[in-house]
Amino acid sequence: MQDTITAAINPADEKGSYLEGVELEALKQYFQTGEMRVKAASQIGDSAASIISETVAKSLLYGDITLPGGNMYPTRRYAACLRDLTYFLRYATYAMLAADTSILDERVLNGLKETYGSLGVPVEPTIQALQTMKEVVTQRVGADAGQEMDRYLDHIIAGLR
Amino acid sequence: MSIVAKAIAQSDEANRFLSSAELTKLQDFFNNGTVRISAAQKLSANQQKIVDDASQRFWAQCPNTPSNSGNPQKTALCQRDQGWYIRLVSYCVLAGNSKPLEDIGLDGMRDMYVSLGVPLANLKLAMKCVKEVAMGVLNSEEGALAAPYFDQLIRAF
Repeated sequence: MQDTITAAINPADEKGSYLEGVELEALKQYFQTGEMRVKAASQIGDSAASIISETVAKSLLYGDITLPGGNMYPTRRYAACLRDLTYFLRYATYAMLAADTSILDERVLNGLKETYGSLGVPVEPTIQALQTMKEVVTQRVGADAGQEMDRYLDHIIAGLR
Repeated sequence: MSIVAKAIAQSDEANRFLSSAELTKLQDFFNNGTVRISAAQKLSANQQKIVDDASQRFWAQCPNTPSNSGNPQKTALCQRDQGWYIRLVSYCVLAGNSKPLEDIGLDGMRDMYVSLGVPLANLKLAMKCVKEVAMGVLNSEEGALAAPYFDQLIRAF
């Protein structure tokens, strides 16, 4: 995977040059936002299970999807849904820390649409849950870090469409 | 791979969020971001001077060496490589770990210099001189961040 630092170093090395100008400025900004990122990652990691419960309660729980015939019925599929939403949250948190989307492409989105298609997992409710997750996360971590998490959760949403 | 990418890869392997120990390490890394940037800028701005001064020191201790053989092409190549290693150290300072140095400049390095007929013992001494001069250019905080990578480089020769 790439992160914002290696994404700057690799092309500089190809040219045999030091990091300077725009690239160094980008790293400076990344370092400056580091504290916010670490704090948010810690808050999200500590309350991941409760973020997922709240997300499901606000998006899917009271719809037809949890009833017999729905895609979150029976319990096995409900648990699979929780597991996948937790993956999304965890990888979005990694990407937010790295300030780079490549880990989402490599580890989450690569083949996801096809897998969901073959398993019959509906995309629209998944996206609805991810939209709700954005709100729930922002409530926990605050507006600035929430906005940053939105970028990566939106990247997953875009990849599902 | 930076210190951030490494912590993420470790966590991913174990299917978990980052541990508080890992997050504390990243926090420390971000906290001295300004020092990292200024160290990288100074190494970049002073690369030529560091290489030139280090060569003088090196030749005073080890006059019989390819870079001091009177062949300007050899001198230029040796000094160019020394400059490259300074650049790799600057990458490491920014990345917070030694992966850039290892991946770009150490993997296969011995085989290359042996094949070129460059004595590794001489290079080791040359790199010690590069480190000494570089430490003089950096302040103590910047130097503390860069020194471990120079040391790793010296050990590798």
